[in-house]
Amino acid sequence: MTQIAEPGERAAPGFAGTAAGRKPRTRRKFNIQSILGTTPMIATAIGVFVICIIFSIIWSFTSSKLFPNFNFVGLSQYERLWRTDRWIISVQNVFVYGVLSMIVGMVFGYLLAVFMDQRIRQEDLFRSIFLYPFAMSLVVTGLVWQWMFDPNLGIQSAVRQLGWTSFEFAPLVKQETALYGLVLGGLWNGVGVTMAIMLAGLRGVDAEIWKAAKVDGIPTWKTYLFIVLPMMKGAIATAFILSATGVVRVFDIVIAMTQGGPGVSTQMPAIYVIQHITDRANVGQGMAAATMMLVPVMVIISLQYLFQWNAKRKAART
Amino acid sequence: MARAVSTRRKIFFTALAWIVALLLFFPILWTILTSFKTEQEAIASPPMIIPSWTLDNYFEVQARSDYFRHFLNSVWISVGSTLIALLFAIPAAWAMAFTPTPKTKDVLMWMLSTKMMPAVGVLVPMYLIFRDTGLLDTVWGLTMILTLINLPIVIWMLYTYFREIPVDILEAARMDGAILWKELVYVLVPMAVPGIASTLLLNIILAWNEAFWTINLTASKAAPLTAFISSFSSPQGLFWAKLSAASTLAIAPILVLGWLSQKQLVRGLTFGAVK
Repeated sequence: MTQIAEPGERAAPGFAGTAAGRKPRTRRKFNIQSILGTTPMIATAIGVFVICIIFSIIWSFTSSKLFPNFNFVGLSQYERLWRTDRWIISVQNVFVYGVLSMIVGMVFGYLLAVFMDQRIRQEDLFRSIFLYPFAMSLVVTGLVWQWMFDPNLGIQSAVRQLGWTSFEFAPLVKQETALYGLVLGGLWNGVGVTMAIMLAGLRGVDAEIWKAAKVDGIPTWKTYLFIVLPMMKGAIATAFILSATGVVRVFDIVIAMTQGGPGVSTQMPAIYVIQHITDRANVGQGMAAATMMLVPVMVIISLQYLFQWNAKRKAART
Repeated sequence: MARAVSTRRKIFFTALAWIVALLLFFPILWTILTSFKTEQEAIASPPMIIPSWTLDNYFEVQARSDYFRHFLNSVWISVGSTLIALLFAIPAAWAMAFTPTPKTKDVLMWMLSTKMMPAVGVLVPMYLIFRDTGLLDTVWGLTMILTLINLPIVIWMLYTYFREIPVDILEAARMDGAILWKELVYVLVPMAVPGIASTLLLNIILAWNEAFWTINLTASKAAPLTAFISSFSSPQGLFWAKLSAASTLAIAPILVLGWLSQKQLVRGLTFGAVK
């Protein structure tokens, strides 16, 4: 049975004209299986994300207090939002936190990956250990680091015990440095993943490149920096997206580590929203802030679609 | 990939790797050690390295706040949401991997992009739905929400695994007259077991660690460990040993699961980027 049926089945996808994808996979515009398989998922995703987001956006134009209502007040929630210092500080904080943790995380992740690339023994073991912090919840991460940074218990007191009595390292107690303490905790949590992705990227680079660089007498560090790094765009993009989503959603670690303080020095947009929809009983204001948080993500997603669409149109023309 | 590295350099780098690994692991290790100290030892200066191995903290955490219930909540929520997510995700990933349409990639990217949305954007509508349906502060409600949140990741992971299964085998089964559900149950699932297992593992870890929804949608009855621990977040130096005991119990399952399945953990945590 199988032998007879095979050739006819195989010929079909080739004529369908879509070149992409691996050879034997059938590509049809509609088929009952794919519709059946993806419907539950698409239905839940639309139900939850799209509808809920639409409601959030609608409520941001209302004067909702403790409970949402539909008493529309135009843009006044947004006007108030951008006049509120607390919100502006939140935006600045998340910006500083994001830029710092992403740049430092990528640099350290790459350095660690290069380091792991030196044919260390028990590489798998080390890779797992480096990844462990990421498997910890951010709540535990925040707690542990809150403690490491405690002036009387943590790193500061340990170093002072060793004899360096003027040593100061307790970033969370001061307004000016609390944010950097948060960045350090976040880095500890995330650097292992960046490393693992970068390492996979390094391993994906053709060995011939290394041979050629060696023949040309290019020093190893230059090869890593100027030749190999630009070749692993995929790994860099993956690591970038992963850390960027972490930044957009930063919440748990702040709650566990500083709760936005001291003062408003580690206030974050997500916490601003939560405070307004709970303690401050001002859902309209909270939703305006939440909508502002959605804006950058939506811009990025629509830009991506634009690029895709553009590429498709170009491909269709040629 | 045959780059020669001299033996001396290799030893040097291995030693360095141990130091870096120790530094990275130190906070976790210290938490575990502290959980076995008395409260006086925990805040002693100079810090005591070797604890007196008391188990009092564990008993006290249990006695004071019914720790075990929160632990069970965590188990129930993470395992339950993972199983339900798999139930939804296996057909979806199967359809996308084996019968792709021109729109498959778009659907997949769109699914993943929901993961990038800040969760506060949907919190209020969700909260109201939960309140009106009586799901607030229930294990069932949390199980449902975590299923929804992690569904894109589960589908993505399964998709990357399913794509590695040669399609010929499924076609052969179909030629032999296997009907749809038989093809799924007898052919696909057995071959995909390793992939499904690592997806399961990753999702349990993600659900176990989820804090945003568990903090905001529970009060005390259904609070899992993350919410329970975050309620302690200003310990004022007095309860460090107890807090460490609670944290240790919260991370212990992850440490054990992670150790038993290092390879899958790496692939899972990097979302399929590392094989």
